[in-house]
Amino acid sequence: MSHTRRDFLRAALGTSTLMSLGSVAPDWLIRSAPAALQRGDRETVLVVLQLTGGNDGLNTVVPYTDDEYARNRPTLCLPTGELHKIDSLLGFHPRMEAFLRLYKDGYLSIVQGVGCPNPDQDHDRAMRMWHAADPRGLKWQTGWLGRVVDRAWSPAAPDTAAVFVGPIARPFALNAEKVVVPSIDSVENMVVRQHVGWAVPTIHGPGNALLQFLRQSDSGARAKSERVEAVVRGANGSADYPRSGLARDLRTVAQLVRADIGIRIFFTELGGGGIGGFDNHANQLGNHCALLHQLAESVAAFIYDLKRDKQLDRVLLMTFSEFGRTVKENGRRGTDHGAAAPMFLAGGRVGGGLVGPHPSLTDLDKGALKMHTDFRKVYATVLDRWLGFESAAVLGGRFESLDILEA
Amino acid sequence: MASQLEKPHTSDRSERIGSATAAELADPGWAWAAYEPDARRPWNLALAGHVYRRAAFGTGWEQLHQALLDGPQRTVDKLLRPQADVEAFNRRCDESESIVAGSLDGLRAWWLRRMMETPHPLLEKMTLFWHSHFATNGDAVDNARWMQEHNQLLRSHALGSFNSLLQAISRDLAVLQWLGADTNHKAAPNDSFVRPLMETFTLGPGHFAEDDVRDAARAFTGWFVLRGQLRYLPQEHDETVKHILGREGNFTADDVVRIVLEQPATAHMVVRKLYRWLISETEEPSEMLIAPLAGSFARDYDVSRLVETMLRSNLFLSQQSYRQRVKCPVEFALGVVNALEGMVSATQLAQDVAGLGQDLCRPPTVKGWTGGRYWINTATLVGRHNLASAILQTGKPYDGKLDPWTVAQKHGCGAPESAARFLLELLLQSDLDPDVGDALVQDVRTPKTDSDDGPGATLRRLVYTVVTLPEYQLA
Repeated sequence: MSHTRRDFLRAALGTSTLMSLGSVAPDWLIRSAPAALQRGDRETVLVVLQLTGGNDGLNTVVPYTDDEYARNRPTLCLPTGELHKIDSLLGFHPRMEAFLRLYKDGYLSIVQGVGCPNPDQDHDRAMRMWHAADPRGLKWQTGWLGRVVDRAWSPAAPDTAAVFVGPIARPFALNAEKVVVPSIDSVENMVVRQHVGWAVPTIHGPGNALLQFLRQSDSGARAKSERVEAVVRGANGSADYPRSGLARDLRTVAQLVRADIGIRIFFTELGGGGIGGFDNHANQLGNHCALLHQLAESVAAFIYDLKRDKQLDRVLLMTFSEFGRTVKENGRRGTDHGAAAPMFLAGGRVGGGLVGPHPSLTDLDKGALKMHTDFRKVYATVLDRWLGFESAAVLGGRFESLDILEA
Repeated sequence: MASQLEKPHTSDRSERIGSATAAELADPGWAWAAYEPDARRPWNLALAGHVYRRAAFGTGWEQLHQALLDGPQRTVDKLLRPQADVEAFNRRCDESESIVAGSLDGLRAWWLRRMMETPHPLLEKMTLFWHSHFATNGDAVDNARWMQEHNQLLRSHALGSFNSLLQAISRDLAVLQWLGADTNHKAAPNDSFVRPLMETFTLGPGHFAEDDVRDAARAFTGWFVLRGQLRYLPQEHDETVKHILGREGNFTADDVVRIVLEQPATAHMVVRKLYRWLISETEEPSEMLIAPLAGSFARDYDVSRLVETMLRSNLFLSQQSYRQRVKCPVEFALGVVNALEGMVSATQLAQDVAGLGQDLCRPPTVKGWTGGRYWINTATLVGRHNLASAILQTGKPYDGKLDPWTVAQKHGCGAPESAARFLLELLLQSDLDPDVGDALVQDVRTPKTDSDDGPGATLRRLVYTVVTLPEYQLA
């Protein structure tokens, strides 16, 4: 077991060895710990994918048999025949064929009706709640993943535990008080470009503790850079990805997962900076089509790439958006800011299937779907049961895990 | 000078910087007394380099060599009170600031250039210290003009009175906006400023109670940021009695600042933080060591005297301080630039040091940059390599403005080998394992690359290797 894994577990449990877990540890941890040992230093990885602008969940996972859907969406209603049917009630958007394949293969779960208990229709405030993991919003100076990274940091193994991969400013979710969380736009950012041409002697000579720390960190960083280079050189990296920004970013993530350099948390984004591409108040149809197509194709390429490479069992991808949209379209062929929406979980060990019921289309709050699952329960699940990191300290309270991951 | 470079390297670091006894280091009287070189603890290039790393952003050979001649106290004199025309430089800088107004990225580049060019680097070093102390994130302020004024405010008090600085901070638009303290209604006292004031800017955790925060917030009622101006609305001020840190009265905002400054914890907190910035971040200093400085600081909050005491001290010029800090990204980058007497694109450099974790004008939280070992992880170390490579390359984006071979020749080196030894002294004061130093020099003598490479390229590679060594990451 590598340092990082141990440290995550230690931070999670406040104990120094796995042996002393006793009955307080979740079953998952006890069952999977030996597996982690067997896999050597291959650790679980979380990939968070932000859909910026407020995704219209209703036109993403469509309740096509519900009359209210067609009634509220005179121009935006998607033709039933073109949907990719999940079951007799729900279907994926016509351009999300790839998600149906993922779903049928058991690599995709849909957590329905997720939202914030104190919904806010302002983009920045709503996004801040998701980033800070706090529905009261704005008191945090750090993001939820930044807090994880701060707590998991260990001078014994100063790996880069989390990165943002993408072209926009690093989202607040990754803001840490102490640890530097980098933004990268390609694997090149993790590779030492210039080799010195001769071997720098590995020195274990005299020097203070700080120098020893830097020597150890530096040789670690060089070794990891070489691992990334090897992956880039290798044929493995040439899987088929569509030509899109998100696909490029997820391909970068896949390469870094493969290189196995200790990054536990990746954050990516679709929709662009600013308010975001999912914010379709007018003429939503075409734009939303393009984004969902990009989403489905890119995520599927990513998942099957990792699957081919036998990496999928240690990867979990989770999508979120700051809010859903109003049930009723707004007269401009668009929708306004809503509340609850589905979150997607993709990976080799998601349970697959639907989690929770689709929210009612008639019992609304200011025209928006009501949430039945607090988004922090999903966060708690991925922290406690996927990364093996005690969620209560990060979320400022204890949230019950959802039973959505395979042991 | 050539003869100096031929001297064999000393490997024992403690010998290079002399060695103080444990009893001396623990004795405040000895520790804070002005350092006077003697046979046991001689003044040398290693210590001159140390002074310029901590009190400036590194320096070139000329100043380093001059420091050797001047001795420690005169060197510190010059850093505190530079002979150059600082006024003229400041005027020129302040005039050029209008160019950057409106953009935070423009502001951070303007500041970084100022750090590179200034004849008074200690002032910028302390401005950076206060930037991290009163950490204000310009993205949240969303007003580059206010951030610029904030930056100037920090500079104008950087070596002045902490009392005046704190007063100014309590009225600073950028700070109030960033902390969400822009409204203070009588009916809804806002603790967004007074909480970090007590917790982060002055007393520190454990030195105040929740009631102190609550009543301090009431004392701040009446202050608003309205239409880009700080306004006081008397009808919104809570005129009733408050209890703050054991005092009772109908206090105002200014009273709160005065009261926190009367607390001994405030001076202790600032002295400890400055100790970490100037002296060492590896060991928490004992209370005995801090007490005399804190006591003196609390009398008038004269920052300049505090800095001066530290920089002149035996402790600062001892193994207790030497190489006991990790260079922050700005120190890392400017150290290379200043040593090689170059001038590079500040816009590009500001972006690149941001990538290493130090985005000037955008500190991560109100607590500033924690720094130390937290600067270091796989990505930031790879980033330091790649920045060093880029800045030393002849091509884009830095256009090869740094030329080690020219610098070495200017200072009397006629051959690549002597140039290599010179560069090791310049950049690291040869403060590394002598075998490694010899191997590096040997490699310059027998380049493995194509013959048309020339000493220019060879020495660029040498500098790249040196500044990416673990040793170079220590300040």
